[in-house]
Amino acid sequence: MEEEELIRLSKEGNEEAFGTIVNKYKTKVFNMAFSLTYNREVADDLSQEIFIKAYFALPKFNFKSAFGTWLYKISSNHIKDYLRKESRIKKISLREATITPQIMKDEIEKKQREQLEKQKNVLVHQAIQKLPAKYQIILSLRDIQGLSYWEIAKILKLSPGTVDSRLYRARRMLRNKLMPFLKQKGGGQ
Amino acid sequence: MKCKKLEKLMMRSFDGRLTTKEKDVLESHLKSCSLCQSKKEDYKKILDFLKEQDFPKPKPYFWERLKSRLHGQYPYEPIVLWKQWTIKAIPVSFLIAVLIAVTTIFLLPSREVELSQSEELFFRDLSPIQETITALEGEEIENKNMMLIFASIEEQNGIRRYLP
Repeated sequence: MEEEELIRLSKEGNEEAFGTIVNKYKTKVFNMAFSLTYNREVADDLSQEIFIKAYFALPKFNFKSAFGTWLYKISSNHIKDYLRKESRIKKISLREATITPQIMKDEIEKKQREQLEKQKNVLVHQAIQKLPAKYQIILSLRDIQGLSYWEIAKILKLSPGTVDSRLYRARRMLRNKLMPFLKQKGGGQ
Repeated sequence: MKCKKLEKLMMRSFDGRLTTKEKDVLESHLKSCSLCQSKKEDYKKILDFLKEQDFPKPKPYFWERLKSRLHGQYPYEPIVLWKQWTIKAIPVSFLIAVLIAVTTIFLLPSREVELSQSEELFFRDLSPIQETITALEGEEIENKNMMLIFASIEEQNGIRRYLP
């Protein structure tokens, strides 16, 4: 069945049709949530909330944009709200986290090669999490999800020029945060 | 300054958004600038890492769990709406009550209150006995007696005498 037909049926309250849409997009939505939270439980919960929001917002969907873009828009807004709330809660613990990279650095040197991947994940995740929410979102959309500039501009309601400059700042900030580890022997290998 | 400008081009090159001319400018700069070369390597490492990340799958029975959550959700919550309505209704109704009170006090024409004879005398700070005494003093003795007789008869009948 065509996606448009599935959406039309979902709008009428057909749960099976909505289930098909969910199965098609669940991985993309989950990956986006996971790339910004690095927590499977939280990402799963956020994904469910996003689909619930989308289900009740379906009557407002008027096929002006692609369904995927519309769903990404809901996802990015929902995750952004979550990140903002989280950053408010974690403000104090972030100060403590500033000493973590050094601890991580020592650990990386000691541990085996297979554990290095895990550590790298943690480091990159920590560095991304320290960025403002708008930069986290744009990095996730472009560098993790691989969306085009045009799609990102539509999702975030920005001009392509703003997408370009925001992405530039986000990457630059991330590099600055990861600098000490990149300069290590074999840091990024 | 040139390095900073070329850093932007470098970023765009990762996204394949450079013109041939821009590509040439970037490449010739990279050949001569070791700092930018190392920057490019850093960015490449980071971007490759982000792209190659392994994501776990969503937890099992995603749709089944979502379905049960959907059944427990309502797009419109009447209780919440009612609560919101009452929150607004309290100050609005208070304001309306104040407006009505102010209108009643200031805008409605005041009614003239009819006072009884004794009330009138009271407000005019006159004593009814004093008035009677003054009336009697101006009369002759026969008239005084007649007036007293008539007054006592009227009092017995329960009819009040009105002064002219």
